[in-house]
Amino acid sequence: MANEGERPTSADKGKGKVDDVRELNGKKTEGEKPADEKKKDEASQEEELSEEDQQLKSELEMLVERLKEPDTSLYGPALDAIKNFIKTSTSSMTAVPKPLKFLRPHYDDLAGLYETWAPGPVQNSLADMLSVLGMTYGDEEKLETIKYRLLAKSEDLGSWGHEYIRHLALEIGQEYLNRLNAEQDTQDLVDLALSLVPYFLSHNAEADAVDLMSELEIIEDIPQFVDENTYARVCLYMVSMVNLLTYPEDQQFLRTAHAIYVRYNKLSQAIVLAIRLNDTELIKSDIHATTDMSLKKQMAFLVARQQIWLDLPAEDEEGEALADCLNNTSIPKHFKSLGKELNILDPKMPEDIYKTHLESSRGAGLTNLDSARHNLASAFVNSFANSGFGNDEMMLVEGDKRPWVWKTKDDGMLSTTASLGMLLHRDVEDGLDKIDKFTYAQEDQVKAGALLAIGILNSGVRLDSDPALALLSDPDNLEAKNVPMRVASIMGLGLAYAGSNKEELLEVLLPIVEDASLDMQLSAMAAVSLGLIFVGSSNHQVSEAIATTLMDEERQKQLKDKWTRFMALGLALLYFGRQEEVDVILDILKAVDHPMAKPTSVLASVCAWAGTGTVLKLQELLHICNDLIEEKEENKGDELVQSYAVLGLSLISMGEDVGQDMILRQFGHLMHYGSSNIRRAVPLAMGLISPSNPQMKVYDTLSRYSHDNDNDVAINAIFAMGLCGAGTNNARIAQLLRQLASYYHRDQNSLFMVRIAQGLLHMGKGTMTLNPFHTDRQVLSRVSAAGLLTVLVSLIDAKQFILAEHHYLLYFLITAMFPRFLITLDEDLQPLTVNVRVGQAVDVVGQAGRPKTITGWQTQSTPVLLAYGERAELEDEQYIPLSSTLEGLVILRKNPDYENPE
Amino acid sequence: MGQQQSNLGGGPGGPGGDDKDKKKDKPKYEPPPPPTTRLGKKKRKAAGPSTASKLPDIYPTSRCKLRYLRMQRVHDHLLLEEEYVENMERMRKAKARATQDPAKGGGDLDVMDRNADERSRVDDMRGSPMGVGNLEELIDDDHAIVSSATGPEYYVSIMSFVDKDLLEPGASILLHHKSVSVVGVLTEESDPLVSVMKLDKAPTESYADIGGLEQQIQEVRESVELPLLHPELYEEMGIKPPKGVILYGAPGTGKTLLAKAVANQTSATFLRIVGSELIQKYLGDGPRLVRQIFSVAADHAPSIVFIDEIDAIGTKRYESQSGGEREIQRTMLELLNQLDGFDDRGDVKVIMATNKIETLDPALIRPGRIDRKILFENPDQNTKKKIFTLHTSKMSLGDDVDLEEFINQKDDLSGADIRAICTEAGLMALRERRMRVQMDDFRAARERIMKTKQDGGPVEGLYL
Repeated sequence: MANEGERPTSADKGKGKVDDVRELNGKKTEGEKPADEKKKDEASQEEELSEEDQQLKSELEMLVERLKEPDTSLYGPALDAIKNFIKTSTSSMTAVPKPLKFLRPHYDDLAGLYETWAPGPVQNSLADMLSVLGMTYGDEEKLETIKYRLLAKSEDLGSWGHEYIRHLALEIGQEYLNRLNAEQDTQDLVDLALSLVPYFLSHNAEADAVDLMSELEIIEDIPQFVDENTYARVCLYMVSMVNLLTYPEDQQFLRTAHAIYVRYNKLSQAIVLAIRLNDTELIKSDIHATTDMSLKKQMAFLVARQQIWLDLPAEDEEGEALADCLNNTSIPKHFKSLGKELNILDPKMPEDIYKTHLESSRGAGLTNLDSARHNLASAFVNSFANSGFGNDEMMLVEGDKRPWVWKTKDDGMLSTTASLGMLLHRDVEDGLDKIDKFTYAQEDQVKAGALLAIGILNSGVRLDSDPALALLSDPDNLEAKNVPMRVASIMGLGLAYAGSNKEELLEVLLPIVEDASLDMQLSAMAAVSLGLIFVGSSNHQVSEAIATTLMDEERQKQLKDKWTRFMALGLALLYFGRQEEVDVILDILKAVDHPMAKPTSVLASVCAWAGTGTVLKLQELLHICNDLIEEKEENKGDELVQSYAVLGLSLISMGEDVGQDMILRQFGHLMHYGSSNIRRAVPLAMGLISPSNPQMKVYDTLSRYSHDNDNDVAINAIFAMGLCGAGTNNARIAQLLRQLASYYHRDQNSLFMVRIAQGLLHMGKGTMTLNPFHTDRQVLSRVSAAGLLTVLVSLIDAKQFILAEHHYLLYFLITAMFPRFLITLDEDLQPLTVNVRVGQAVDVVGQAGRPKTITGWQTQSTPVLLAYGERAELEDEQYIPLSSTLEGLVILRKNPDYENPE
Repeated sequence: MGQQQSNLGGGPGGPGGDDKDKKKDKPKYEPPPPPTTRLGKKKRKAAGPSTASKLPDIYPTSRCKLRYLRMQRVHDHLLLEEEYVENMERMRKAKARATQDPAKGGGDLDVMDRNADERSRVDDMRGSPMGVGNLEELIDDDHAIVSSATGPEYYVSIMSFVDKDLLEPGASILLHHKSVSVVGVLTEESDPLVSVMKLDKAPTESYADIGGLEQQIQEVRESVELPLLHPELYEEMGIKPPKGVILYGAPGTGKTLLAKAVANQTSATFLRIVGSELIQKYLGDGPRLVRQIFSVAADHAPSIVFIDEIDAIGTKRYESQSGGEREIQRTMLELLNQLDGFDDRGDVKVIMATNKIETLDPALIRPGRIDRKILFENPDQNTKKKIFTLHTSKMSLGDDVDLEEFINQKDDLSGADIRAICTEAGLMALRERRMRVQMDDFRAARERIMKTKQDGGPVEGLYL
């Protein structure tokens, strides 16, 4: 019919045609008002109009005409009629509803009408409608929807439909920004937004509600809107956004979610957030918020996993039981019962791990050199593999067999003796007896080792009697003549009280830091220990002491010492996760004119932003890596800066899945372009970002690096492979390491590192994790991360520390070692065997319905091991877990409503 | 392998590593046996670009700030990467210039010369003519067992310039004519037959050319186009979008026309096949073709596969004696597997068309394979009018033409019949050298069409 506009030729030929067809279409012609003429180009659309559409269109147009007429009494009914059309129309998902389509040409007219009408309910009603029309036709820039919505206060927004509300929310966000820029009042927007939130929440769109409120910066108000049914989804969504937000918004989110959980009495979830906030007061208030003793104990377990030492008054028996839970003292018992269940109580020998018979025969005969160094490696492997089990066949031997110590020499004896601590880890009472006899040995090295062992033994547990403090701060040990004993005592204290914030230790260790007459090694070690003890506390006493030491004139000479980096590390650890608070110390460091100042500040800032994923910080670090440094002696400091920057890349981006994946790509570029000092740090950084998380793409790359021409790169890559697979028994890494063992059978250093990596891989016979993230990968354990970082810093110059005589630095890993078990307990804390499903965790945030949280699960009975990224859930509803995440120690309570199906 | 400079995936190779390479002259131990990752290769290749440089998946898929933030994070990281690489490249060039500058200025030309030189040398080494063979088995990094169509299998060496990542058992390779060593890989995997099916030029028919069928159009769009355009809508609702639809109904009701309109409208890859094309001469060729069609579709995802006249291969299975029939059934079984088999095909949607849905194998059209069955009926009054208008709009009609007459008659006309009437009427007018089509022409045309239609077509009466 109206095609003549497009095809003039055919129209010329058949003159009478147009009219014919018009008639054929019958009534259509009536509907085509003058408006038709100005939109000839749209004519082809009209061709498709069915009769109903045509009628709808004409009716709408009639109504619009009525609005244009002067008769005001008709306005109200006409508007209501149009609204009714709009509301009742339906269409397919993407098409514009028909009434809106037909009203389009009149939008500008109606907008003009609005200006001319007298204010009153009728005018409001028109604004109401214009607001809806504005959604589809208004100029995006002008934000018409919001403009008319603000002009007309209407209660019943929901009746316009979900799409409208969403659009409105979008425009509110934009308008809010505009007004902020223009510094205008935003109260009306906030009010409007608040009226939308209940609608969102009641329509399963909690993401929209949270988005809108965070856009308007009023997220704190959300608790009043959520209810029983919606709070869980709202909180889940908010918590998963935290990693991607910037300070202070992330804190706000966490606090708000925490408040919601507390309100709905989900204290175990609330306390996890409190732990994430690192707010001791909040943790305490959560624990006190309930009188339920079992729940309190469960929360105590969660707190203890993070190694936060709370002091709760233990007045009665119950209080003491709670303190026990807080002090981690029951872990060895449960760990051994896990071992019994899995049938791995028999000690493993290093040979069981090396499996030299599987190595290719080329190196055979040479690898088994009975050298002191080889024996030392075996001691380490033995201690890692049997860690925490409290029995082995090398050190804890009875009768005629002599402990393995005597097969090692000099500094090797220190580490070998110290391995006792790891073997007996956390089992303080038994352990002290067994270590005791070594403290009376003739050799200073053995004595020092025994001291270190005491420290390691006590790491992560707390006893009221404080045996570690008593023994290690004994002047005989701490102020002993020989350096190893002093170092061992200092380090032991640091390990035993890591994360404890114990004030007594200030008196013991601060003097050592400040004393300029002492060897740098001692002061630096004391600084690291203090850093570990006060990790993330930004304790100003300690930071001042370390900062003054760095600036001290008398020390200037010593600052060239290789140990100075640990001084810097100690300072950095104090600010672990403190984010902007670190700026104070960075300003001070800027003023210092010293080669160590810059590495220190880089280290401090990466620690402060650890686990936040902040892209701006990553950018700064990459800029540091961009600089080319000529290889000269005086540039040593700058080289360290770059190495730390590389480590910082992974430290900052860890914990957030997307960033973690992306940073791995970046390492490829760094490896390609970087100078040797950067290349050395890259494998370590790759290990740091995926400890105990053997991803194929990571260890495959590391395996390539392990053959690098630069031996330092290779050594670090080997260690990183161990780190990657730590405590997993991963067979592929084991095979790769065996190949490396035969490849490097003549290179003592590399071989030593291969052995260490093998030990790490089989840590705790495959029951441990080094990953600093726990409780469903939500919480970053500062103590663990600090321990890992310390070891990696020492590995940047492996040949000066770990591969020289300071291999005992490896024991800093103890702070990160934790069994990756799930033990279920009844309310009397006795082990309880139930069936659980263990499977790969699924990210269910923002998905519709109630999706399964795990996939590919297997049913097992507790106790079970959980690998990285795995989650567990109870098989049936016979019991209710008191903790929201089934990990570590979980208390189960009988479900009163449970009915046995049989 | 151990001697190679290690770098992870991305970034151009080239002169950056050169200075490092010099170091490898110093004697070292023998390289260890190559990592046994051979088997993984094919799999990794199937997963798309090398997994190391793949971007992480972003969840949730519904539109929300969380998704936005995560995407932004990826974006930021990519920017960082770009910045770093750019800076390093710039510095490298500056350095190279600083060292080379005194020597000569035309470095770029030199490089180009050298490249051309190297390429011609590689061509020399490849020799001519090259034989085409099949890679049977990879022995180690530089040896393989190959076979050619003519002769026996050979144990040969692989030239160092061959891209080893492309080599996998079963690949087509180029062989040197004398030494039979591997000198190249032929990457084209799919049958040329399949690439013909890919639609390069969209058909001219659009939705506007379809009279009526609103319901059907909407159903097809919902299940085929929308999932490709807005997958998040389905995600939000918590449902999986349908995998495919079948269009069925009497002949001439516009099934193929609708498919053409879909192809016209969509920006997805559109593959069209007729069922009979899948019947091949040789055993196993039919199923192979089906596999290839779907693998091409998956490679070019998002894509739409349109199979017309599916009853050619999709009839109910029965005990058959002839090998040919069994082969057709096997072809259908492969189709079943591709539609809803073990591997997820991703963004591949299937449209099938038939006019005998009752003869199809129930397994083929069960939900999960074909989720929507869309019936095309003969047009009703209203639709008839639309179809008439559509076809007559381009004709020059006489003043006396009133199509209402035909519309109101209770003939059982299909869309194709109406079109035939219009064409026939035009032909009549042409026969009499008139410039307009008149009502009489239409009447006569209708008579003719109705006659042949009632007789069951001209063919039946031919030999009576």
